[in-house]
Amino acid sequence: MQSESARMSSAAEARFRLPTPATVVRTMTVSALDPASDDVVARLAVGSWKNARFFPASAVAGRTARLLDDIANADLVVMVATAGGDASAAAAIGDICSDRRVHTATFVVRAAAVSDEALSRTLGQVRPWSLMVVIASADDYLEDILRSFR
Amino acid sequence: MLRKEQNDLLTQTGPGTPMGRLFRSYWIPALLPEELPENDCPPVRVKLLSERLIAFRDTNGRLGLIDEFCAHRGISLWFGRNEECGLRCPYHGWKYDVTGQCVDMPSEPEQSNFAQKVKLKSYPLVERGGVLWTYLGPPDTQPPLPEWEFATVPSSHSFMSKRLQECNWLQALEGGIDSSHVSFLHRGDLNTDPLFKGARGNQYNLADLRPVFEVVESPGGLYIGARRNTEDGRYYWRITQWVMPTFTMIAPRGNHSVHGHFWIPIDDENCWTWSFDYHPTRPLTDDEVAAMRAGKGIHAKVFPGSYRPVANTDNDYLMDRAAQKAGKTYSGIAGFAMQDQSLQESMGPVVDRTKETLVATDSGIIMARQRLLRAIKAFIDEGIAPPGVDLVHQRVRSAAIVLPKDQPYKDGAREALIAQPGVAPASV
Repeated sequence: MQSESARMSSAAEARFRLPTPATVVRTMTVSALDPASDDVVARLAVGSWKNARFFPASAVAGRTARLLDDIANADLVVMVATAGGDASAAAAIGDICSDRRVHTATFVVRAAAVSDEALSRTLGQVRPWSLMVVIASADDYLEDILRSFR
Repeated sequence: MLRKEQNDLLTQTGPGTPMGRLFRSYWIPALLPEELPENDCPPVRVKLLSERLIAFRDTNGRLGLIDEFCAHRGISLWFGRNEECGLRCPYHGWKYDVTGQCVDMPSEPEQSNFAQKVKLKSYPLVERGGVLWTYLGPPDTQPPLPEWEFATVPSSHSFMSKRLQECNWLQALEGGIDSSHVSFLHRGDLNTDPLFKGARGNQYNLADLRPVFEVVESPGGLYIGARRNTEDGRYYWRITQWVMPTFTMIAPRGNHSVHGHFWIPIDDENCWTWSFDYHPTRPLTDDEVAAMRAGKGIHAKVFPGSYRPVANTDNDYLMDRAAQKAGKTYSGIAGFAMQDQSLQESMGPVVDRTKETLVATDSGIIMARQRLLRAIKAFIDEGIAPPGVDLVHQRVRSAAIVLPKDQPYKDGAREALIAQPGVAPASV
């Protein structure tokens, strides 16, 4: 007689999985940490999103309590940095997220010409405040990553 | 999550499918040498990328991998007689050599040369590094033989196993590059498994159950780094290599051997998990090999012949709820290999990725999917060879290393992430 595991992991039984996915209402904020990241954040902001808000570097640079509160008022806080850029704003965002136990992730775009030293400076600024870091050569990966978080 | 059409694109590897065409760019493991142990041994059925084939070793030791079915009336050549430099169908005596060429057709008139006009599809089958490799792509784009380090060190330094995994290849690969489950699913085994225990780096794993992950593009695929704090204000990095489409290598521990996997599609609902262990600078000890054969480390105990794990879906993976409750294992399943495989098979033959709820620590998996989708597009639309075909992409290592806090690990571990003959792996 087939075990329950064998029966239940079959293709036949897969037909009976609940057709609707789990209800997930996840809010997300995406903040540019430096002016060079503004373009990619602005491009993303134009797209259709259910529960995502976008903040340019100029707003983030102000680091007002109200803005930081706004950014951190989410289930996932994504920061976008350019390798070699000034990502020091990550500290203020990361600090408030840490207090609120909000998950942070930083996406670093590294152009081919950027040196290891320049990348190192940026990583030194974002690593202490990011529970996940992705370093990619192209910013279009960022939209794919964000779309994966429904 | 993926859209359905993306999920189909990545999971379907049969003839003519885009991912199937991508897989056919590479040499892939087909058999262990022990499956064709001697000249004129019995033929072996082989199914890879949804193609049914038959493998045999002829009278002169040459290896053949040809269509399973006789060109005459479709009889399976598994029943064939391996004799006199060919595989002879027992129905009417048609014989094929290792290239699939029909070389004898005794049911036809004696002077007939019709046999010369009959040839079965065949693929090269080559032995290297304890594996019989095959290439199922077009002959004119056949790449050089693989140069993964485990396949180029002396045979005494390397061990390979394979096991049947009853689910799609991709959900198995994703388990291999997902570092975040180690702190949960494999929690009980780090200090007890003979192939992992005793390494200084294990202290960092056990002291810090919440590693931070960093995913970086590599020429062949991705580096997936997991960092933990050290006692002196630096980071302990464990860096996994993923090379497209399906090679992974996990960071070493202490002076233990280094290990990793390939997941090779049999069809869209089953795959072979190939697991290697090797040490670049010393032979494996008898105790290490015995442990691997016994299903320790990343290997599993399997039934001879079928290579199906002893703990499998038919026996509920020998689930031990008492051990789960007592904290000896997290899932109730014993051993690294089956802890992973049992859960991956439970997802169903092909997991529905439209229903996932991914989180930030899944970014490695997300990036890998996107890298594969981009590689497929570039390959199909522009004929660009995918990453991993280039031998430079294969001469790689994983690494465990301690670095200053702000240093990019791709920079700090640059030399450690390349295979260097005679140089010990970077390990803690």
